[in-house]
Amino acid sequence: MRVTVDDDRCRGHGVCCSLCPEVFALTDDGYSQVLLLEVPARLHETVRKALVSCPEHAIYEEARP
Amino acid sequence: MTDWQELDFFKDPGLVADPYPYLAAARERCPVWREPHHGVVMVTGYDEATEVFHDAATFSSCISVTGPFPGFPVPIEGDDVSELIERYRDTLPFSDQLPALDPPVHTDHRALLMRLITPKRLKENEASMWRLADSLLDSFLAGDASAAGGPAADGPAADGRPATGEFISGFATPFTLLVIADLLGLPEEDQQDLVAAMRAGQRSGGGVGDTSQRAMAHNPLEGLYQRFADYIDDRRREPRDDVLSGLAGATFPDGSLPEVADVVRIAANLFSAGQETTVRLLGSALKVLAEDPGMQRRLREDRNRIPGFIEETLRAESPVKGDFRLSRVPVTVGGVDLPAGTYVMVLNGAANRDPRIFEDPDRFDETRPNARHHIAFGRGIHTCPGAPLARAEARIAIERLLDRTSDIAISEREHGPAGARRYRYIRTFILRGLTQLHLELR
Repeated sequence: MRVTVDDDRCRGHGVCCSLCPEVFALTDDGYSQVLLLEVPARLHETVRKALVSCPEHAIYEEARP
Repeated sequence: MTDWQELDFFKDPGLVADPYPYLAAARERCPVWREPHHGVVMVTGYDEATEVFHDAATFSSCISVTGPFPGFPVPIEGDDVSELIERYRDTLPFSDQLPALDPPVHTDHRALLMRLITPKRLKENEASMWRLADSLLDSFLAGDASAAGGPAADGPAADGRPATGEFISGFATPFTLLVIADLLGLPEEDQQDLVAAMRAGQRSGGGVGDTSQRAMAHNPLEGLYQRFADYIDDRRREPRDDVLSGLAGATFPDGSLPEVADVVRIAANLFSAGQETTVRLLGSALKVLAEDPGMQRRLREDRNRIPGFIEETLRAESPVKGDFRLSRVPVTVGGVDLPAGTYVMVLNGAANRDPRIFEDPDRFDETRPNARHHIAFGRGIHTCPGAPLARAEARIAIERLLDRTSDIAISEREHGPAGARRYRYIRTFILRGLTQLHLELR
């Protein structure tokens, strides 16, 4: 599983970072940043929760090539 | 013991000082429980609260800040009350405000607001926060009431007595007001007028969720919105390189230019939703710091603890106790069936003390590992747009207060001795926080 955060939509609420700090962190500029290229299986459920909880719908699961 | 159910959460002044035992009793009875006085379904569980917040299709926000209290013009009957909501929406108080909008209108207007408070803009705003905090502290710590816009605080006397001051009106209110004024790019000369208008408003009282039933009071900021509208008009005619021009040129997601009134309403939302709430957050935070010298010392010694401390304050004393939703269709929440047209109050302040999520929830622990899971800012499409702003304001205010003092204590003269303190909390069922906080600062 791979996810991206759309900087044009992200407004730095930090909900994803609270729910899953292993994968998301706020940068100094206040945007959320994805820390892991590949999300390990044990975190899939948590990351999906972060994805649906984003108030700006700024997090996307990348389609598999 | 059932007498807690006799209490009317919305009217009982006793629940203003400490609502938490009542909310815990309600949660224990059932996390989704219909209180008997007004028929409002109180959602006090964490999972249940987030479920409602995430289901904007089922739950309308049309009555989000007033609940059932102004009344609905007609009986809310039927298996799908969506049409009734749309027909009467405009007659409801605060109906044009962002928290009361539903998609698709909400989506567009919120997008407009989110264009104004981007992380980039907030970073610029943060630089002014340090300056604003310092200039207000110059006055607050010296007891210069006129510049702080606050009542007389006594400066530190030559004999080493501490400075004393009322923190809410002497610092928190002008600080949060000026931060938003700066965020909107209001010229310097207007900022002092703003403080004066807010002070006049504080004297007249009122506001949403006012349990003294003076709700829907005249808005003291009205005159400033006219001036703000004039600025937007002006910048649309002649754009400059300033924040106001950015606001004036901001468009809806479809590229259309909003009416000036829409832009003004967004600015008004920032003040109405973002100012008072942050004042309550700052008040709660300073009360905890002043009451707990050990915690204050730990924060002084290790500033990295401040963000966690702020999250724990948001969790334990959520500035917004909760807000309302109206179910459009029959729905089941937490195993409880709710018919269409049910008034639901989602209690962030109760969800944040749900023992199923937060261990020993009534204990304040600034190192609580999952404190940030609180829903003080709500969840879903109505998540507080100003959360990053509020966090930055709290962090900067606390940093500078700690930098510029060696000890912050509760004024015993005003609040009584430890163990027998007297505090007064704002009398509303929506907001949680102190009306006054008298401090002694060294």
